Amino acid sequence: MRQTIQVEQVLRETVQTPYRDLVTRATGRAVRTSIEQALEAAGAMLTVLDFSEVGLVDFSCADEIVAKLLLNQTAGTFVLLQGLREDQLDAIEHVLDHHAIVALIRDRSSGTVRMVGRVEPDMRDAFGALETGEMLSTDGVAARTGWTFERARTALESLTRLNVVRASDGSYTVPLAV
Amino acid sequence: MEIPAKFDDRSFEQFTQSFAAGGLTDKMVFDARTAQWASPFGLVAMLTAGQAVKEAGGAMPAFTVPIAEEVRRYWTRTGFFRHAMELFELHGKVPKQKPDTQSDVLLEVTPVRASEDVHTVVGRIQEGAARIIHGELGLEAKATMGFAMALSEACQNIVEHAGTGGWVSVHAYTFRRRLGRRVVVIAVSDAGVGFRRSLEATQQRRFGDRWGDAAALEAAVIQHTSRFRDPGRGQGIAGIKRYLSRWDGKLTIRSGTARIAIVPSWDDDVPLTEHLSPFPGAQVQIVIPAQEAKSG
Repeated sequence: MRQTIQVEQVLRETVQTPYRDLVTRATGRAVRTSIEQALEAAGAMLTVLDFSEVGLVDFSCADEIVAKLLLNQTAGTFVLLQGLREDQLDAIEHVLDHHAIVALIRDRSSGTVRMVGRVEPDMRDAFGALETGEMLSTDGVAARTGWTFERARTALESLTRLNVVRASDGSYTVPLAV
Repeated sequence: MEIPAKFDDRSFEQFTQSFAAGGLTDKMVFDARTAQWASPFGLVAMLTAGQAVKEAGGAMPAFTVPIAEEVRRYWTRTGFFRHAMELFELHGKVPKQKPDTQSDVLLEVTPVRASEDVHTVVGRIQEGAARIIHGELGLEAKATMGFAMALSEACQNIVEHAGTGGWVSVHAYTFRRRLGRRVVVIAVSDAGVGFRRSLEATQQRRFGDRWGDAAALEAAVIQHTSRFRDPGRGQGIAGIKRYLSRWDGKLTIRSGTARIAIVPSWDDDVPLTEHLSPFPGAQVQIVIPAQEAKSG
């Protein structure tokens, strides 16, 4: 099950402001709290945060909303960011890198899903091996990448820990087909 | 206290010397009669001085307005007098004129006290910023949003750390002596606790005998530490620096008796200055220059 949250709508409902900008820590905290309540109420495995109608995103708000949501994420639930402009993505990447975490984003122009933040090369390649949407075992990823079992296992464990890959009965998949 | 004829971040030190010479509760006279020009830094610094006197319970200082009519008109357009009349006894004729945000004054002098004020500042700046930064300075369009982000973070320092209100103003003008190019300047100033007192509880022990205004600025600006234990804090100044490094901009922060500068290639400022005359709170200046015309 998935749910889509329009972030600009949450901002309007949470903070009494005529502007569409996600700025200040106080705003970020208020918006994150509302999003967390929505996540808890829906209990969806995949939540899409849509930034399409949002104006500016500053570093403080990016940290309060995106970084803290990802850091406090329940294992086995996933967040996908979409509708981000380049400047918004820039602020979000900055805070993700600061916390050494990653996020899944759907590219605004191409529609493809990729990871942003502190992404190690092996994590990127292992994620690429899963992009077809198939469930693959560690052996399957090792075969597809030409790696040893250990190397594939390490990369997949990192991706699972960062909540960008779903693990089930020893197999892994990118969590977009839920 | 004589207001420097050309009042910017450099002549500010002349201003602080006379400001620090007396007590905050002494009756003061700010003499701006011979003033010819003030940068946004100069304007918000004067208001900060008035605010510090008011918050210390001092008598309302007198303020003699500039003699030159065009200077009075310009200061009116910046919104300076509207706020100055709440902090000073104004002596002299102040023109009745509405602030003008369609000119070089991108953001008139605006008080910053709470998170909502930062929303207002960021909301107001965006249209004018696009016109100046992309249209006039020749930076890529995406630089406009980064500029608003830097402005937002600079203003939030007041809300999060100062313990009192402050002021922000943004102007575009030509840096003739230092650069020979157009610039956009953000000036943010408050009369609050300053960086040293804000960081004292968490950083003093780490610095030991070195602890002071300069060490506090170093901790915040170079090491990106914050008084909050939240590991996500301290990213505002880091984000401002990242933006400035991309567009060859300059950051200076003065607090207490010290001043730190992130110096771009076009400037010869000193990275860290200590033992200055004390001044309340913190004063931040961000300078974004026009892109150099490509030759050939």
